[in-house]
Amino acid sequence: MMLKRLLAVLALSAAGAACTGQDEAGVSAEQASFRAALLTAGPVSDAGWYAGAYEGLLLLRDSLGAAISHQQTRTPSEFDEAFFSYASAGYDLIFAHGFEYQDAAIRAGERFPNTTFVVSGGGRYSANVVPLIFELEEGSYLAGMVAAGVSRSGIIGTVGGVAIPPVEGTFLAFEAGARAVNPDVRVLEAYTGSWDDVAAAKEATVAQLGRGADVIIHNVDAASFGVFQAVREAVAGGRSAWALGMNRDQNDVAPDVILGSAVIRIPEAFLETAYAWQSGALGGRPIYFGATEDVIDFVLNPALVDRVPAELRAALQTARARIRSGQLQVPRVPFVEGEPGVR
Amino acid sequence: MSETELVLFLEASVRLGVPLALAAMGETITERSGVINIGLEGSIISGALGGALGALAFGSAGFGVLAGAVAGFVVAAVFAGFCVGLRTDQIITGTAITLGGLGLTGAVYQARFGATGTALSLPTLAPVPIPGLGDIPWIGSALFGQAPTAYFAYALAPVLWYFLFRTAWGLELRAVGEEPHAAQAAGVRVRWVRFWATVFGGALAGVAGAHLALAHAGTFAENMSAGRGFIAIAVVVLGRWNPLFVLLAALLFGAASAFQFLLQALGLDLPYQLFLAFPYLLTLAALAGWVGRSRAPAALALPWPKDR
Repeated sequence: MMLKRLLAVLALSAAGAACTGQDEAGVSAEQASFRAALLTAGPVSDAGWYAGAYEGLLLLRDSLGAAISHQQTRTPSEFDEAFFSYASAGYDLIFAHGFEYQDAAIRAGERFPNTTFVVSGGGRYSANVVPLIFELEEGSYLAGMVAAGVSRSGIIGTVGGVAIPPVEGTFLAFEAGARAVNPDVRVLEAYTGSWDDVAAAKEATVAQLGRGADVIIHNVDAASFGVFQAVREAVAGGRSAWALGMNRDQNDVAPDVILGSAVIRIPEAFLETAYAWQSGALGGRPIYFGATEDVIDFVLNPALVDRVPAELRAALQTARARIRSGQLQVPRVPFVEGEPGVR
Repeated sequence: MSETELVLFLEASVRLGVPLALAAMGETITERSGVINIGLEGSIISGALGGALGALAFGSAGFGVLAGAVAGFVVAAVFAGFCVGLRTDQIITGTAITLGGLGLTGAVYQARFGATGTALSLPTLAPVPIPGLGDIPWIGSALFGQAPTAYFAYALAPVLWYFLFRTAWGLELRAVGEEPHAAQAAGVRVRWVRFWATVFGGALAGVAGAHLALAHAGTFAENMSAGRGFIAIAVVVLGRWNPLFVLLAALLFGAASAFQFLLQALGLDLPYQLFLAFPYLLTLAALAGWVGRSRAPAALALPWPKDR
């Protein structure tokens, strides 16, 4: 009886676990040019940060013929376990998509010198551990300009998940961009403590709208749907309010309320990284992707572009050009080892 | 803080409290029968996805709520099949159900709507203000300007209280949770009662999930239950296994959660982690100060029959 019960629970657990990770078919390991894996700390169905990484993984398969695999890992012990299983299974290039992976990647890098570990938003590096630094501050600076430019109340808001440096940096630059357009703008800030809690992100947004904010930007994952829904309900209630997308072009996620998105073209960045790896140029230093590389940008929603005044659009163009040419330094929160910060 | 801000805060409190109240009142019935369903989170997330799919399929949020209840019911039936039928350990099985529910709903959502996800356009449960009551100053719109699922929760609390403490079936249910031997000797079918108490709790957790998707978020997102199943289990303890107190405890917890967003929007220059910790600190304080004197059902989490 005891054994039967134990087996029953094991079967149930296995059924549950089987649903959380999967291998992508398409290219078999034998005919593949190389093998690439992706680790995410949240679901790739967030239409944002993780979705972009998953699209990047698919691009490696479709453009370079890589054999690919993706796993969702939640806890630091799972990070180590996933690095270990991919590296010992012979994966060449392992993308760990998030700041939280950096310490586990350094540990794995020492243990598996022939595998290259790429950490999106990481701050630590070694010969085979490479942080990808997305200078999303450059995109969110432009988002801040739009927010202050279209706000009627002069109050705008930011809703974040957890205050990690890559997120704090985007909000800092957002505020700086807003002040460049309207020095008196007020910026409300909220963190919900969760990347997925849609209801919490919605209530944080409702509270900011209640304080008079009328343009809200987010830096959460799937919880961004709650931000968009709160703005949508405010508009349905007769108010003027806008949302701004982040991390990926989210303009089609809620096309009626998202005025534009601060985007990272993650698939292109992953492809560049894979090219660098193939030519042996990857390792020993972080790789920076910014507006200059055309990986970071701010994209207005084509359906709502007429809601952005022409002179503001012209100011955006000018600012983008000045960021690309290096004339305009956007503030950021430094977090890469040994890196001088601009604050 | 102005009056409008107070009203906004109270409205948010009830919105955040209702899904907790629904799940916790169901879990109260389950626990009163001697089963602790740690897999409640699995029922909530399944209810959220079931609610979203049902609302899309039938083009109606009301049918979505029904579909959510069915999804929560089915997940709890799996749990009950293992724990009540096969007498497996309730904590381990519940954990497996939670992990399985989160994984399975994610897989179904990605298969149906694409791997990279999007915000769905669902028929939503709009607030239905109750004429007269909604005009009461301060609390009117907070309590009576809500989605229908909120009114369902208010109505359910006294009904469940009456069932538990004033009917023969309620007495049998409590007897099963306190002294299953005595209940069996009196002719009560212990496992039958436990099975139905568990799936009833699961169905209510499913309604809670459907409320999250249809009345709150307006879409489904993976992991959107965000630990509410576990908070609901704490709310049951806070409400001392009494549906009326459980409803109040859930609304109190909702208020504590809403308070953190109000404080952040007010722009107080304090670490935000303090605000986030507030609901949990409140729960700890309440548990230490008030619930210390109450007692869980004696046979809670014990398999039945004991030896076979």
